[in-house]
Amino acid sequence: MCIVHHVFEFKGSPVPIRADLKGAYARLWSHFAEPGPTLTGTQRVEIAAYVRMARSGGTPQPTDLHSSLLTLAATLFVDPSRVDRSMVRQAADAAGDPMVVEVISIVSMLSAVDGAHTALGADLEPLPSPLAGEPTSEIAKGLRQRRTHVPMPVGAIPVALDLLPRIGQVFQNCFGPQYMTGPEMAFADFNRTPGLNRAQIEIVSSRTSLLNKCFY
Amino acid sequence: MLRVSALAFRYDLNIAAIGDPSLPIGIPGGNALLALVDAAMASSRDDVADTQTAIIDTLGPESLVDAASVFGNFEMMNRVAEGTGISIPAHAIERAKDTIDELGIDSFHKS
Repeated sequence: MCIVHHVFEFKGSPVPIRADLKGAYARLWSHFAEPGPTLTGTQRVEIAAYVRMARSGGTPQPTDLHSSLLTLAATLFVDPSRVDRSMVRQAADAAGDPMVVEVISIVSMLSAVDGAHTALGADLEPLPSPLAGEPTSEIAKGLRQRRTHVPMPVGAIPVALDLLPRIGQVFQNCFGPQYMTGPEMAFADFNRTPGLNRAQIEIVSSRTSLLNKCFY
Repeated sequence: MLRVSALAFRYDLNIAAIGDPSLPIGIPGGNALLALVDAAMASSRDDVADTQTAIIDTLGPESLVDAASVFGNFEMMNRVAEGTGISIPAHAIERAKDTIDELGIDSFHKS
């Protein structure tokens, strides 16, 4: 499989963008284009296009995916606080837990990239062209729901997508360029110089979570 | 977490400003950061442009990139939390009780 990293331009941003952030988003775009554990590259990019269209108020293009999965994807992207256990389990009953987790991962990571672009006043990046290939079926065995909507290991939110180990790793790799690395999180007085210190970072995270009506 | 980091920098944090950004938050550039989040959440390009200017002028251009990327990160984290239904440990809720009460967000972790 030939993977060509997309070049993010952040067209319209008034400031230059850190190379590590550009690199992280380029890797995410390549990840979206590749076949996932349960979905082809074409289906993965279709989901991203579908939820973007849902947010813009347009009529999303139909796909061959189950309607409950698409309802979950669009709701999670547009109004995440409306997602509840019933909506997730309905999608999982129709499509299986692994496909639901894959859809949650696509929607969530796309929200990161689009959110950063919006806050920078930059045009949204065109979605990548999907790569050919069949789903990989890389799915962890033996996990179960732990008062959660989907199976996952014991642990905090970084392991929430670990039913799909490769996707869980991609998710965790987003933290450093976008927020703080694991070692940096250990310091209450972390200061990105030049840039924001930890208190300023947590103003942004707290207000974002409050507006999303999310405790995290 | 914000209370701890504000203490580390010896800021006089007004946590209520997280819920009401018209209040002074007591951290340099903090109210401009709150305004950027609100503008980005509303997808208002004009408001984003206004708040960007304030952040660049007071905190520098690198801080605008940091703020935008943190916003993106929590757009992601909130969706992973809602989609997977990962539960909040009871001790974490207890530890944050003062903040939960002050911001009136008690219902956020009960769905």
